[in-house]
Amino acid sequence: MATLPAIFTWMGATRPEAQAKPAQSRAERDPYRLRALPQENVFFFCKKIDNGRLVREPDPQAKSACWSAIGVASLAVAILAGVLVPGAASTISGYRLESLRAEERRLLDEGRTLDLQEAELLSPDRLDRLAHNQNLVTPKSDQVFHLEGNQPDAAVAMVKKQ
Amino acid sequence: MVERRLIVLGAALALWSAAIVVKLASLQLVHHLELARKARARQEIVRSLPAPRGSIYDRNGQPLAMSLPTQSVTVNPAKLPDLGVAAELLEQVLHMRGSGLYDKLKQANENGRGYLVVKRGITPQEAESVRALPVDWIDIESASQRHYPKGALAAHVLGGVDYAEKGNAGIEKALDDALHGQPGKELILTDVMRRGIASRQANEARPGTPVTLTIDERMQFVAERQLAAAVEDKHAASGSVVVMNPSTGDVLALASYPTFDPNTPPETAGDASRENHATGVPFEPGSVFKVITLSAALETTNLRPETPIDCGRGSITLFGRTIHEAEARGGYGVISMAQVLQHSSNVGAIRVGMRVGQQNLYDYVRRFGFAQLTGLPLPGESRGKLRKLPRWTATSLASISMGQEISVTTIQLAQAVSVIANGGLLVKPRLVLKLGNQPAPQATPVRVVKPETAFTMRHLMEAVVMPGGTGYPEARLAGYSAAGKTGTALIFDFTTNRYAHNYNASFAGMAPLPNPSIVVVVTLNETHGNGGYGGRAAAPVFNKVATEALRILEVPRDLPDGPAKTVAASQEEPSSDLAIAGLGAGPNILQDTDDDDQPAAPVTGVAFLGPTVPDFQGMTMRDVLAQAAARGLTVLPDGSGVAKLQYPPPGSVLRQGERIRVRFAR
Repeated sequence: MATLPAIFTWMGATRPEAQAKPAQSRAERDPYRLRALPQENVFFFCKKIDNGRLVREPDPQAKSACWSAIGVASLAVAILAGVLVPGAASTISGYRLESLRAEERRLLDEGRTLDLQEAELLSPDRLDRLAHNQNLVTPKSDQVFHLEGNQPDAAVAMVKKQ
Repeated sequence: MVERRLIVLGAALALWSAAIVVKLASLQLVHHLELARKARARQEIVRSLPAPRGSIYDRNGQPLAMSLPTQSVTVNPAKLPDLGVAAELLEQVLHMRGSGLYDKLKQANENGRGYLVVKRGITPQEAESVRALPVDWIDIESASQRHYPKGALAAHVLGGVDYAEKGNAGIEKALDDALHGQPGKELILTDVMRRGIASRQANEARPGTPVTLTIDERMQFVAERQLAAAVEDKHAASGSVVVMNPSTGDVLALASYPTFDPNTPPETAGDASRENHATGVPFEPGSVFKVITLSAALETTNLRPETPIDCGRGSITLFGRTIHEAEARGGYGVISMAQVLQHSSNVGAIRVGMRVGQQNLYDYVRRFGFAQLTGLPLPGESRGKLRKLPRWTATSLASISMGQEISVTTIQLAQAVSVIANGGLLVKPRLVLKLGNQPAPQATPVRVVKPETAFTMRHLMEAVVMPGGTGYPEARLAGYSAAGKTGTALIFDFTTNRYAHNYNASFAGMAPLPNPSIVVVVTLNETHGNGGYGGRAAAPVFNKVATEALRILEVPRDLPDGPAKTVAASQEEPSSDLAIAGLGAGPNILQDTDDDDQPAAPVTGVAFLGPTVPDFQGMTMRDVLAQAAARGLTVLPDGSGVAKLQYPPPGSVLRQGERIRVRFAR
């Protein structure tokens, strides 16, 4: 493809007007302009700009604006947290509370079950059978000595049957 | 161009924002309530707050009845895909092999029932197994179940409940309103996993009020055991024992035999074991009632313990009928009134009763609490029967003096003997010590007899348990003084309409004598033979129960310690205290169907008054003497003709032993 343009260029270069123009075009060409695309009217320019010597002028208001922004953002976060965190904490506490209530109900029921079992184990009929199996008999009135006086839980010695 | 585009873009954004705002306003303002309601409906669940039925305790805090949460398995028979498979599965999971579950499911399905309880009171393991089943026709319901940890102990006092935990007998029924709790309702906010986040009470749960009884489980156990042994030993049909504190009225034990286990109550409602013989079955008491007769005599006549009573040769003729002593010994002759009680002489009791008179005896029988409800909170209590005075026949006075022609309950006997034990006050028996933390109210005692009368009667009753008494030696306690009265009454046979040779053997006693701590009344029904008398059948039960009760109460012994005296059966024939029944020609008192003994007025706290002097003005000597004899008064006549003057004057209160002087003139 590049061969044809080269041919055309050669053909045009032989013409007198063509011989005078190329020196002038070459002298006016922008040094930043990149090589043109063939048969295109689009030209690209590339220029290196060194901004290294540029120094930004310090803005006295930027710092305060930055801090202000930080403060506002923090406040917004705090307000948002203040609004959302109690709700979340309440929800978490609610979970905990409900589980504790369920645990309380379970423990109360378990306590009642244990009370029932205790009462069954302390049944006079059962205690009498156990005493009988151990050859224990109820003492006679003259064999009973109340050591602690008239108290409901005063111990009474049981007499082993001989 | 650019500006136009910007304007268009800005307008589009504004429209979009406006749409958002409108929608927000619609949701938050216009439809807020409706949406909130829908959200609550999805998020909230309603949970029932259980209110367990109040527990019942004995006086020492031992639980006698408690309710525990339980779970039941229910199915929808209409939704069962295969009855056989369902029955097989349920029987395996719930350990119900051989329970006929398939037949029940089939019947329910054919009847179109949509609900059937498969098993109540499942274990937690069974509940887990059921929940793990991937079926939708089975459900688990939570409920409450009543337990009686002491088994059959105090069954007649406690009663029982039905499947809905509603009391159907005993204390459970009488105090059902207090025992029954009121479940509450709780609204729970849940998350998507149905876990509770927050809750609020819609209705507060009110648990049932616990009830503390006056019953002591140890005494109750002893009473029930001794009663059962005695009924078995004497081949009796039933029996009852009441142990009562005479000062406070606390019923420490109330036993009835046969009994039942409230955990597995009898299927049929009319089962004999459910009958409370201590409060609901009246009987003719027999000789034990002579205590009332003699008490009335001490109060209304000038009879004293040493007053001689002519018991003749063992018989007395009244209105054409001859009444004999229980023992054909030739009679007791002339004995003191104290010996009348000691030997339980029927002739002596009749003579004493005749001195008391109909009106006085009727009044004192009522004052001692007979023919009235004691007020115990036990459904089905009988008030017994006592015919009103106008319906008394010629022989009623004699019969009632011996304890026939009147029906009483064991608890009424205990209440009456407590009058003697506590110095003359009628103290109502009570079963409830506390409702919750509040002490149960107590009725004010009413004076029935003077203190000296009560003290005198105690000593008369002590002779019954001493040598020569009908209660010796069985009723004599080792280490404690005791007093009591035996009773042996013939039982009326309704089929043959006559008295059979079966007895109601009873013993009513107290101990220790100086200040009785307990009153024990024992009754055995349908005993036979010599071994079935009160002194042989009921007195030994009194001995064992009273001894144990005094030990439990830690009552100090009041008799010196001596060698342990075994209460062996007497080698001699026991003294018979059999009351003579069937004196009257009319129907038996137990056959009375009408409530003839409706209390006209309760015996309130009247101050004790002695007999009042009647007005003899203008009456002949014969009429004066007859009227005085009917009231049990002694008249000293002077002169002849009609009564002109008398001292003390009419209407005044006669002091003990005082006689009325009447001057006659023409």
